[in-house]
Amino acid sequence: MSLLTVRALVRSLGQRRLLAIDELCLSAGESCVLTGANGSGKSTLLRILAGIDAPDAGTGCFDGRPFGWSPYPDWLRKQVTYVHQQPYVFHSSVIDNVAYGLRARGVPRAERARRVEEALSWARLHHLLDSPPARLSGGEKQRLALARAWVLRPRLLLLDEPTASLDADSRRQTIELLRTFADAGTTAIIACHDRDVIELPAMRRLDLVDGRIITD
Amino acid sequence: MTLWDATLAALLLLVSGDRELWGIVGVSLSVTLRAMLVATPLGIAAGYLLATVAFPGRRLLIVLTQGLLASPTVVVGLILYLLLSRQGVFGELQLLFTQTAMIIGQVLIALPVLIAFSLSAIQGADPRARETAQALGASAPRIAWTLLLEVRFALMAAVCSAFGRIVSEIGCALMVGGNIAGVTRNMPTAIALETSKGDFAQGIALGIVLLLVALGINSAFAFFQGEARR
Ligand SMILES: Nc1ncnc2c1ncn2[C@@H]1O[C@H](COP(=O)(O)OP(=O)(O)OP(=O)(O)O)[C@@H](O)[C@H]1O
Ligand SMILES: [Mg+2]
Repeated sequence: MSLLTVRALVRSLGQRRLLAIDELCLSAGESCVLTGANGSGKSTLLRILAGIDAPDAGTGCFDGRPFGWSPYPDWLRKQVTYVHQQPYVFHSSVIDNVAYGLRARGVPRAERARRVEEALSWARLHHLLDSPPARLSGGEKQRLALARAWVLRPRLLLLDEPTASLDADSRRQTIELLRTFADAGTTAIIACHDRDVIELPAMRRLDLVDGRIITD
Repeated sequence: MTLWDATLAALLLLVSGDRELWGIVGVSLSVTLRAMLVATPLGIAAGYLLATVAFPGRRLLIVLTQGLLASPTVVVGLILYLLLSRQGVFGELQLLFTQTAMIIGQVLIALPVLIAFSLSAIQGADPRARETAQALGASAPRIAWTLLLEVRFALMAAVCSAFGRIVSEIGCALMVGGNIAGVTRNMPTAIALETSKGDFAQGIALGIVLLLVALGINSAFAFFQGEARR
């Protein structure tokens, strides 16, 4: 059963085609790694799928339900989560950052606390609970952003170079997590240059060249 | 009475808790606080809409707001006077020479400051703040609230700036308030009118209080602006 299908997705900038995808189909539980040179359109594609940017043309279908981008529907926002290439952290607290999406979904306090706690220990953020989030290092912000997305258990998870600014330990741990995502049946698209991610078993590979998918 | 004697008398008035003097301070602060209570949510909401919603005439409104930033308060007072006077459109309401009229005037003077400052605060926010809130599934009101929280220090600076402008303005307060003792006589109007009648001590005492208020509010402004830049 296909979870996500997009067709005839086009995004241009003046004369330049940033993205031109005839069809992209993702099965439920499938994990893809999205590769391609700098500027090939990886972030552009993920941002469109997440509803942060809109394409110039294109149609989509999620879990059998058609959708478009004007506007990108709220029900879909609750199922799809995107993590920036350079994540932004809210200037509140580490815990509030992790709890943000759960609050937006109206998850009751007790359950919220439990899930936040779980995400914090997964991302090894406990020793940073009292730090102002804006002062965290690049890799710590990355881990916080991953925890903030992971805690939501989205149907579709879009990760933009999640291992780029991580140290060896955090990288290994994140890759381990990507494996658990796949095992748990989370559908994910991961833009990545990281060999170890690309070579994860059961990873489908999408290669972008100038905004077009060439290997599939 | 020499200046020295007047200053001593002023200090005496301040420390002895002079009824009339502190009453005037009370009118000033209460009118300005109530004006801020009305103007702040309106100004921030308008600034947010101008910063985030595209609609025809938006650019014009932004330019207009910036133009009104330095509007002479006495002209605002004049216009309000004409509207509220017995022959005016709102003459029926009999608001002229009341605190309500002063509050309306101060709201009008504060609004452009609040709108312009919050507009630039929100425009200056990192675009990823909105994108992250969106990506985590926040609804439009929650996104708005999140963004306002992210720029809270810049917004507090806006509030201080507006407060500073209206607490010390005299033109409008005089026009629509009328300097009525115990009712609409506030610090600036009392200083301007009572001093010329020979009440130097009270003028100096009020001047000291007003100066301290302005100093406090400007320090707060500087603090919040510093925090906002971090
Ligand atoms: N809003 C925009 N305005 C102008 N150019 C843009 C915009 N968005 C994307 N681009 C251009 O589109 C192209 C694709 O950008 P994108 O960020 O998707 O690449 P990427 O594959 O993610 O690259 P990287 O590996 O460096 O992250 C780039 O050439 C970029 O300059
Ligand atoms: Mg990218």
